[in-house]
Amino acid sequence: MIKRPRKLIYHIVLWVISLIFFSPVLLVITDSFKTKEQILSIPPKWFFTPTIKNFIDLFTRPNISRYFFDSIVISTTSVIIAIIVSILAAYSFSRFKPKGTDLFMFFLLSIRMVPAAASVIPVFLMYIALGWKDTWGGMILFYAMFSIPFSVWILKGFMDGLSVHYDETALVNGGSRFHIIFKVLMPQLKPGLIAAFIFNVIFVWNEFLFNYIIGGKKTTMIPVALSTWMYSQSGIDWTFVATLTTVYMIPLILAVYFFQKYLLIGMTFGTIRGEV
Amino acid sequence: MRLGDRSKFRTLLNKFENSKSFPGMLLVPVLSFFIIWNIVPLLWMLGLSFYRFSLVTGQPQKFVGFANFQDILNNRSVWKSFGRTFLWLISTTGSETILGILLGFLFWNSVDMPGRRLALTLLFTPMILAPASTGTFFRLIYEPTFGILNYFLQLVGIGKIDFLGSQKWAFPAVALVDIWMWTPFMILITLAALGSVPKAELESAEVDKLTWFDKVRYIILPYGKFILMLGILLRTIDSLKTMDLVYLMTKGGPGNRTELIAIDLWRKAFEGFTMGWSSALAVIVLFIAIALTSIFIYILNLSKRRELGL
Repeated sequence: MIKRPRKLIYHIVLWVISLIFFSPVLLVITDSFKTKEQILSIPPKWFFTPTIKNFIDLFTRPNISRYFFDSIVISTTSVIIAIIVSILAAYSFSRFKPKGTDLFMFFLLSIRMVPAAASVIPVFLMYIALGWKDTWGGMILFYAMFSIPFSVWILKGFMDGLSVHYDETALVNGGSRFHIIFKVLMPQLKPGLIAAFIFNVIFVWNEFLFNYIIGGKKTTMIPVALSTWMYSQSGIDWTFVATLTTVYMIPLILAVYFFQKYLLIGMTFGTIRGEV
Repeated sequence: MRLGDRSKFRTLLNKFENSKSFPGMLLVPVLSFFIIWNIVPLLWMLGLSFYRFSLVTGQPQKFVGFANFQDILNNRSVWKSFGRTFLWLISTTGSETILGILLGFLFWNSVDMPGRRLALTLLFTPMILAPASTGTFFRLIYEPTFGILNYFLQLVGIGKIDFLGSQKWAFPAVALVDIWMWTPFMILITLAALGSVPKAELESAEVDKLTWFDKVRYIILPYGKFILMLGILLRTIDSLKTMDLVYLMTKGGPGNRTELIAIDLWRKAFEGFTMGWSSALAVIVLFIAIALTSIFIYILNLSKRRELGL
């Protein structure tokens, strides 16, 4: 360490930059352990006795556990459906290359790139007309479609990287196609499956507009709960905002830590792969 | 030995798998999803864009041809929203790219940094948070009376600024949050671009004692440029999408100061409930998004070809 002061300074600089980017998040997390007066006090209270009263208040609110339950169940179920559908599609695209594969892949990505404010309008009208608004099925299947483009892109990319020899060997030995997909190829697709699962769950977990418009009382997820519940009689209820945001962010931060090597592929919808 | 039903099932399965329609059958689930949740709504939207249809007035839908589109093209406030979105794109994506590339270079040699994974977690966290929740807690930070930012400003002798409530500051304040959120993404992209440069080439550059500038120009850029371009394009597409972050901070205000096109569209559709007119605007936005995506795919294909050495 002492031998290489330049390196030490370099690493300190990097740490400081990382902490600067994290500081607003850190502020929210510390706020969640303060009383209302402490959050709003100027000058800010840098030292305070942490209280967990906010968390107790949060979880004793009516419905709050329901919102967490909705968020968790809707995001995981829809992504699992999306991944199963996408594996079949990716196999077909990768191995048989039916006509129009490229065009379809293009449309899938385009759909995901359309601003939600635009695509939500017809979906909203359709859901009203069919009576799907604020139903579990409607919400889950919608988010499944929301997750399919990214899953197909990422799984096809990984499948293209697996040699056809695996398929041929299995076929010669009398394995069925489904045996190949789920028993031979799937174990080797693990990185792609993990990336697709984690990041799609995060995207659904974070989604606001669609849940706001085509969801309702029975299918409220946390971002919508946050935005509709943050007002109390005396303006914005900051302890509630800070506490709910903290609880809601923790899984995300843990995901970035544990799945860091999938972050690039996750944030680029499976289009860019590489080491970071 | 397989007997009876089991082998019958196998024969059927074999027949199914060897039939010509098998590749198509695998696509049935994905196509059903695509048709029900994308094609049908999009056609519906396209149809609606030719109608006058409001959910508030209760008047029957009326076919008006291209009147909605004409109205949009002659509508000053829509053009202003597009202009603001363009300004938003230039200022946020521009800053994120410049900052991201600089910091990306800085983080390049950090492999042996103690606690690297934790530091990168802290660095990359902003981009993974929901814009809706980020927008909410930045309201506290920007709050004029008890926000922490104004406290610091007063410490250095600058008076109170109501960032989100003032005509002058709302746009830059909101843009700054976007820059905070997405600069880490451009750092990530830069690191990926730098990682795509073959080590051997970099070493030979050391041997040849290339200047830093030449190293970037002749070695790093030719390899890294595609990934960088893809990253910038993703940010461009996203700036067209930006909605919940800004909406939760300012609702597009004060005045129309922060009304980006997605917010304009949202308000016309879900506050004004003019579904026909909004659909027409949505169709226009949709085409812009598809055009941007085709550029993205074009560059992606270029980079794939490059990887294959063509």
